[in-house]
Amino acid sequence: MRKKKRDSAIYYLMGAPAAFLFIIFYLYPALNTLRYSATRWNGIDPVEFVGVRNFVNLLTNDDLFMKVLGNNVRFTLLVVIFQTSFALLFAIFLVKNTKTTIFLRTLYFFPTILSSVSVAMIWLFLYDPNVGVINTTLTKVGLDGLALNWLGSESTALYAIAFTQVWFHTGQMMVIYIAGLQQIPAELYEAAEVDGATRWQQFRNVTWPMSIPTTGVVMAYTTIQSFRAFDLVFSMTNGGPNNSSSIFATLIYVTGFFEYKVGYAAAQTVFMVVTIVLISWLQRRAIKDRYAG
Amino acid sequence: MKTKGTHSFSARRIGAAATIVFALVATSLPSALAAGEVFGKACKVEGVSTGTSSSSLICKEGSNGKLTWQRVRLGQSYGKPVGTSTPPKGSIEFWHYRPEDKAVFQTIIDRYEARYPGTKITQVISSTSDYDATARVKIAGNKEAALFAASRGATFEGFAKAGMYREIGNQRFVRQNAVANALFAGQYNGQQVGIPYHYLFNDPVYNTEIFAKEGWKVPNNLSSTLAYCKAAKAKGYVPMAWMGAVLGQAAQIFNSMLMNSTSDYATLEKNLLAVNTGKDDLTTPWFKGIAENYKKMLDADCFPENPTGMTEAAGNNLFATGKSPILPTGSFSMGAIKALNPAMTGKMQLMGLVATDAKPNYVGIHNSTFILGVNNKATSSDQRIALSFLSYLMQGEIGEIYAVGTTQHVNVLNVSYAKNVDLLNTSVWQSYKTLLAPRFLITDAAVSNLVNGALIAIVGGKPIDATLADFSKQIKQKLSS
Repeated sequence: MRKKKRDSAIYYLMGAPAAFLFIIFYLYPALNTLRYSATRWNGIDPVEFVGVRNFVNLLTNDDLFMKVLGNNVRFTLLVVIFQTSFALLFAIFLVKNTKTTIFLRTLYFFPTILSSVSVAMIWLFLYDPNVGVINTTLTKVGLDGLALNWLGSESTALYAIAFTQVWFHTGQMMVIYIAGLQQIPAELYEAAEVDGATRWQQFRNVTWPMSIPTTGVVMAYTTIQSFRAFDLVFSMTNGGPNNSSSIFATLIYVTGFFEYKVGYAAAQTVFMVVTIVLISWLQRRAIKDRYAG
Repeated sequence: MKTKGTHSFSARRIGAAATIVFALVATSLPSALAAGEVFGKACKVEGVSTGTSSSSLICKEGSNGKLTWQRVRLGQSYGKPVGTSTPPKGSIEFWHYRPEDKAVFQTIIDRYEARYPGTKITQVISSTSDYDATARVKIAGNKEAALFAASRGATFEGFAKAGMYREIGNQRFVRQNAVANALFAGQYNGQQVGIPYHYLFNDPVYNTEIFAKEGWKVPNNLSSTLAYCKAAKAKGYVPMAWMGAVLGQAAQIFNSMLMNSTSDYATLEKNLLAVNTGKDDLTTPWFKGIAENYKKMLDADCFPENPTGMTEAAGNNLFATGKSPILPTGSFSMGAIKALNPAMTGKMQLMGLVATDAKPNYVGIHNSTFILGVNNKATSSDQRIALSFLSYLMQGEIGEIYAVGTTQHVNVLNVSYAKNVDLLNTSVWQSYKTLLAPRFLITDAAVSNLVNGALIAIVGGKPIDATLADFSKQIKQKLSS
């Protein structure tokens, strides 16, 4: 009995450093953010308590915030749908370990190891409306109508950045999918083949149901990643034009560090966290309802 | 504080001073005589000066009502520039936001440290956006950061409002080593709290070779600007390499559009203050008139195709390769252009973007960003080091190192720009009637961004009335949050 108590004390002790770091770097800042969200503070002057005024203002008198909320939901949906689909598609084709597939996996994974700012610079050049490779190529092949002002137009900037985000992280999600697909027992495919299932039927009835847990992880991770795509947006458009590509992360940065409205930025942060939690919960619920049991 | 300039004069020093004065007079007079610019003699164009030296002359109306060459009083006083004050031993941090100046500052610091062994200065550098966002809080909590920079507008205001500056107006190097006109940007609530080190011209840079080849005259009013745009477009050029994707650079011409938009400066200041505080919105006839001038330029094809997608790299490239004859940014871009195409050396000149056909109040814009200040939270000893280094930067030969190394004019007397032909060619603008960049009178960062965002949207093709109404609503909401 005494040994059991001593062992559990040791276990708690072993977890203590991680708990300490968590409290200092996550819990404390999170609680502080919550506290500041009920204040008006410019980072220097005394903090003024304003109750729920920041939240009321966000929801009733801030068109920009609503615009950014819409941008972020659209950005996240696009990135989650396309990044997850492409990652699964590539993983299915590259799941076997051959020299060619390993080379292609490395190739597709390569963008992930680049820094966000480098990726932004590459795509800034590609998207340049007058001298960029995309538009000059489209013009050369006679598709002038498709040569758009990609990052300079309110109607296309967000989608252009979303495409870059998908290009940037698909390889990373592909690797997670490959790890998941390699865990599917080969017997299931053998049984399906014996039953005469086509490739599509094998995918629909074996691969997809068996990769649901991996899909849950990929979608949750991608959702969080797309909410945090600050560096890409900041480097490519700085949220412009006219905030058409602003997402929560850039809005919070501008509010807190450019306009020096720390309390208001904290309220925006709280709202962002709630939105992420809500979307993740809905995703999990949708997957669970449709495929569980 | 004891400075070299405050030492009592001994006979030997008087002798040395007399020798220097003789040498200065002997070297400056022949050039003045060669150009016909002689003290007391008649001159033609009021305001033109022979330079930014303490021995320069300026064409000015005398008591008899005639224009004559008179002694320039470029400093706050007629006193000669003073030397560097001797620092105590110790080390300080110098915070700034110009990574591109790191090497030249290090050269200057190395010379300074060699001259004053035991005194160390360490540069702490961030990118502009990082600096604007975080430096105020970081410096406020760091006593080592005894010397720091701030850009004009919201950042400088933020630092000053936070009470971080030591008052330096009583320092002799401020009164005697700086161009007095440019000191205004370093004042807050009537106190001199910083030295604006740069003397920039936020006026379009044009390619003199193309203008000469095409036989174009430099536009000097709105009609001739629109005519130029049409002519340049017809010849296959991009008339102005305007960078609509980069708000800071796109907004450079906003200064020019503002400078002659009112009958006098007081009205302009009042109007901008009213926008800044939300008293007036962007739908006022005055601001709508400015927006309409942008639209006229858009209709005359002054801007590139897809203007709102034009990045700084693409804009610079268009100008450096001769595809665009005008780069509507400022003198600070000349260094980058020469880096892209060294053949542009000596082929650049500044022009005012005058957006009126009436007699203009101003022919161009200057700015004094990069304001250097001393942290009043630093220890007294560290403040003395900071002041000493600041006085060192305000020496003519040190200003020259910085100016030539960074391709920038500086707010320091007795600087020779002879080593950089483009600076030399454009230094004449220091004698023109230019206005301190007025867009920074909008000190609320959010309002400033939205005002410029509205004009960028109009250049992007949005209708004027709807755009101004939309952005006015956004400004109202920003100011109430």
